Amino acid sequence: MSLLRTENLSKSFGELKVLNSVSISVEQGEVVCIIGPSGAGKSTFLRSLNQIEQITSGKIFIDDELFLHRENNTTVSSAQPAEYKRLLLEMGMVFQSFNLFPHKTALENIMLAPMHVKRLGRGEARSLARDLLGQVGLSDKADEYPARLSGGQQQRVAIARALAMQPKIMLFDEPTSALDPELVGEVLGVMRGLADSGMTMLVVTHEMSFAREAAVRIIFMCDGDIAEESEPDQMFTNPRNPRTRQFLNSIL
Amino acid sequence: MADVKRDPRRRRAAVAVLAALVVACAALAFTKPPMAQVERSISAELIEGAGNSYNLTGHNYLIFNIARGRNIKSAATDTYIGIAGSVLPMNSGAAKPIANVLFWIPPLLGGTRITVALTMVSVFAGVIASVFLALGKISKFPPLSAACRAYIFFFRGTPLLMQLFFIYYALPDIIPSLTINNKFLAAFIAFALNSAAYCAEIIRAAIQSIDKGQSEASRALGLSGAQTMRLVIIPQSVRRLIPPVANEFIMVLKDASLVSIIALTDLTQMTRSISSSAGNALVYVPAMVIYLVITAFFSFVFNKLETRFSVYQ
Ligand SMILES: Nc1ncnc2c1ncn2[C@@H]1O[C@H](COP(=O)(O)OP(=O)(O)OP(=O)(O)O)[C@@H](O)[C@H]1O
Ligand SMILES: [Mg+2]
Repeated sequence: MSLLRTENLSKSFGELKVLNSVSISVEQGEVVCIIGPSGAGKSTFLRSLNQIEQITSGKIFIDDELFLHRENNTTVSSAQPAEYKRLLLEMGMVFQSFNLFPHKTALENIMLAPMHVKRLGRGEARSLARDLLGQVGLSDKADEYPARLSGGQQQRVAIARALAMQPKIMLFDEPTSALDPELVGEVLGVMRGLADSGMTMLVVTHEMSFAREAAVRIIFMCDGDIAEESEPDQMFTNPRNPRTRQFLNSIL
Repeated sequence: MADVKRDPRRRRAAVAVLAALVVACAALAFTKPPMAQVERSISAELIEGAGNSYNLTGHNYLIFNIARGRNIKSAATDTYIGIAGSVLPMNSGAAKPIANVLFWIPPLLGGTRITVALTMVSVFAGVIASVFLALGKISKFPPLSAACRAYIFFFRGTPLLMQLFFIYYALPDIIPSLTINNKFLAAFIAFALNSAAYCAEIIRAAIQSIDKGQSEASRALGLSGAQTMRLVIIPQSVRRLIPPVANEFIMVLKDASLVSIIALTDLTQMTRSISSSAGNALVYVPAMVIYLVITAFFSFVFNKLETRFSVYQ
């Protein structure tokens, strides 16, 4: 059963075609990494999934249910509003630039959505937030404001914040690209732990070692298209597409 | 500001100076000489010279004038100050202008009350209204956004003086049921409507200066648009709002002198009337000092607010 599936997902910004009929499928418990050169449309793809960007055409299925179907920039059909919201919340998102709420402490950042979207009581939200902070190794930073946390710590709080909505799949958009090299490890460590606990993950990343170890499949995206999709060993030792080879040579 | 906050010694010093001032003022007030002593202290010949028509005024304020003469027009004014239990003449030399200034302070403070009250209630109401105007202007519902745009355009594009005049004098002519008899209320309405337009632009700019990542993260967490505004965007805008709102406040404080057109006596108007009736332009000096003191006080308050809202920075 696929947790997340797209069919011919396309996205244009005006005249600029950024995604060109992208079809993927992610099964329950899979970690899938997306790699590719800058401007390939990787971010746009993730943002199109959780509706930060509105897709031009294509279908999105979540939990094998039709979530959204659009053609020519108009919605053909979508899940009923309550169901739509539920399915939307099955995707958690972690951004390259963290996007923590600067006026809230680490704990309050995590509590906000459970309290106001899921209507959890303050006490319940707090204990949930404390558990999650423990899970990302930041129990001692509960009352710090984001400005007083390192980038790596901020990103770990952001992961905990996304997890607080109990998503079934986590979308990561280059979660370590904004970090100093020495801080990358702690974030990848949390992500590995998450993968080991069985979380379904779709990860855009430039960290090839992470992709190689953690991913079951790697998607190479180029010019808004999936140029190649294969298992890590295959991808790194014997890429089929010459453009994959060229890209990997340029970064490894 | 932040220095005082961080340095407890300077902070204690500031508190001590303030406390000393308060105690000194209280001491002066409580040592006001009784009326009998005042009459005793003023020389008999002075009172005789005044004939039967001498007139003690201002006793309530420590300072009092004695007007002498057969009729008010020809009255000469002598000024005394009652301080620390004794009565001192202030009729000559450097004492005279000081006495004048002290004597003018109570009526000037009366005008100040109007100025400050009008500014505070108008800007407060204006800021509240402007939040809705700003949200309306950036809303994606065209009729609402057009209406807010038009409102802001109108109130920023016409003189405040004319708006005030219009509300108090012209509107009742056009629609009699909209007659406002209370001058302060009329001034408040005009100033609040005007201030709302200016503050709306301030708030819109502050809201739109918040990083787009904030609303994207909110959205990804399932917050509605209204929740995102209320819980994420507006709280972060507040700190950025404070300096321009403080600026607007000080502009309104000074624009409040426009109320003389509807015969409301604010600080400026009071100063003008004292100056012309006393024939003494010196009154402008204490009046301007009062303006500066108020401006400094509110700048201090707004700075303090800004610091308070910056805790997370
Ligand atoms: N809001 C937007 N409006 C117009 N064009 C956009 C917008 N967002 C992205 N694009 C364009 O879409 C293309 C793909 O951008 P995207 O950010 O998805 O690339 P990416 O693969 O994530 O690259 P990177 O590795 O640099 O993050 C780029 O050419 C970009 O300029
Ligand atoms: Mg990107």
